[in-house]
Amino acid sequence: MVFQSANIMSKPLLDRFPFPFDSDSYRYSNNSRKLDPPNVLDITPEYFEEIKLKRKLLENRKEQTFQSFPHSIEAQWEILEMIMNEMIANHPNYFSLKKERDYWIFQNHLLGEEQTFTFGDLSSLPCEPLDFIGRHVQEDLIYLGQRDGKLYMDAGQLCFPADWSIAFDLGMEFLEIHTPVPQPFTGTGLVEKVRDFLLRMEAGEPWTRYNWTLTVEHILDTAPETFGEWGTKKENVTAFNAGQLVNLRVEDQRLFRLPLSNGILFSIHTHLITLEELTNNAQWKYQFYNILDDIPNELAEYKGFISYKDKVLKYLEQRIADSSSIK
Amino acid sequence: MSANTIDVVVEEIRNESPQVKSFKLKPSDTSRLLRCGAGSHVKTYVQFDQNLFENNYSLINDPDQSGYYQIAIRRSDESKGGSVCWHDQVKEGDQLKISYPKNHFSLSFSAKHHVLIAAGIGITPFIAMAADLKKKGKSFELHYAARSNDLCAFHSFLNSVYPDETQFYFSKQGNRMTTDVMNNQPIGTHVYFCGPEKMINEYAEAARSYGYPDSNIHFELFVPPDFGPMEPFQVKLNKSNKIVEVPEDKSLLDILLKHGIDAPYSCKIGGCGSCQVDVLEGEVDHRDLFLTDKEKEEKSVICTCVSRAKVKNGSIVLDL
Repeated sequence: MVFQSANIMSKPLLDRFPFPFDSDSYRYSNNSRKLDPPNVLDITPEYFEEIKLKRKLLENRKEQTFQSFPHSIEAQWEILEMIMNEMIANHPNYFSLKKERDYWIFQNHLLGEEQTFTFGDLSSLPCEPLDFIGRHVQEDLIYLGQRDGKLYMDAGQLCFPADWSIAFDLGMEFLEIHTPVPQPFTGTGLVEKVRDFLLRMEAGEPWTRYNWTLTVEHILDTAPETFGEWGTKKENVTAFNAGQLVNLRVEDQRLFRLPLSNGILFSIHTHLITLEELTNNAQWKYQFYNILDDIPNELAEYKGFISYKDKVLKYLEQRIADSSSIK
Repeated sequence: MSANTIDVVVEEIRNESPQVKSFKLKPSDTSRLLRCGAGSHVKTYVQFDQNLFENNYSLINDPDQSGYYQIAIRRSDESKGGSVCWHDQVKEGDQLKISYPKNHFSLSFSAKHHVLIAAGIGITPFIAMAADLKKKGKSFELHYAARSNDLCAFHSFLNSVYPDETQFYFSKQGNRMTTDVMNNQPIGTHVYFCGPEKMINEYAEAARSYGYPDSNIHFELFVPPDFGPMEPFQVKLNKSNKIVEVPEDKSLLDILLKHGIDAPYSCKIGGCGSCQVDVLEGEVDHRDLFLTDKEKEEKSVICTCVSRAKVKNGSIVLDL
């Protein structure tokens, strides 16, 4: 693959990192906000390395990273069209699209690639439409079909999961997918409420929320299928190396009602930042310490960092102590 | 008016019958045009004589057609004036705003057979549904009642495109449509009605009596259902710490919006559930068609666009 030396202008990571907390305590809630501007895509300087990794995973671990039902194809075309329209409207320097009726020419100037295809004709693309467009964006793309008043996981390209599996979840209904969320923290019927909220979502009014966890080392593809490779790294964390080893992992999740298929597009853009870099922001340092100190064990266990939570807390205490002694 | 609207230009107006006109609406910014699924509608915003008319109209587009939205409107002198304004004032080339397409009347995914039943202008959502079903090779039939052949909008279109699936009923010629069309259908049949409230109630009741489960009965209303006289009541708003009075001739939603409360809503006729709000205290007179009977019994919520306090001059407390 030849990458063009196109320049993606951006601020340093610390200045653009989506810090997900606005208070000193964290619990599960329907923390959705209206998404404004209503875009699916964020293109960051990590674009090249992340697209390269995505395509490698799609090549080597296809079943793990892309799943779909035949009845999702119409929605997949709808998603492809929606994202291509956004690409050329918001990023005309990076992408272009020429349409002659159903004959389309798509160009990715960042990667120096061109694809001609017939819209609606599966045989004209090298892979399914959701898989194709997912190879040009950093976001993971999940399609929830709304069938007879229920939401089902009908298709998805998922390369950078926070320990969940599209191969396992395909075909599940929304409540089934969320069964693992610990009950004491979802309150009575929170998952049902979120589902009802999603069922009432309308086109033109997308929503967004952050989810977060901790990840040891800069590893985006923390899939359950490869837990043996990344999960064991948790044992290496100490209070001394936590700053370099442990990353705050934030998922910028966005939800869009699709007016043709009447389903929902769920996009996930995953951001990683080391605790060392994160704590250069003094306010975030204190806030994150308070969040972690307050978090119930069941939640820390569900999020997968209970085994080294105390080490991270010690590291943060040390960082706070260092900065106080300088003053 | 909702912030998320689409600017459109009226590209073409056609007479579909003496009382029905169709309007082709082309978005000013076609790069962002969204396709629309069968059964979708848009809310239109038309300004005339200081009045802003908000109306919901089904899209009659074939879901494969993109580039414009198309609606069909029957001129109704009895209505609040939206349809009269569309018929008498709106001209080709006019600019106006519409909502994004919304779908509260989608086709069942699991149905083995679809029976579409239209009375009068209730035909509109079924034009898009028939196109979608035909394209996907699904089994369906369309029953369409009008007063006469001349007053039957889209008669020749339906006759030419769906001759085998469509059955017309003209009451002036003594041929009335009856609920019998739903009887003795195969297991897995879903029925859909669109028309006046009286017709919908009659067909829904008949469908249940023939043994259709509620999940197989679908309908869309044009106007809020009639649940009897409206009484005034009082509302306490917990979060904004306000008390507001809802008079007998206003909806709770109208009053909330008038007081600057950011209350959610969409269809305004108790059909979509968007305006649901948690009720902390007080009994609710549910007048919506969104919540199931079980939910009305078990959940403490209210659809503010149509539902009211149960007790005359009574009070309810909302989590707003």
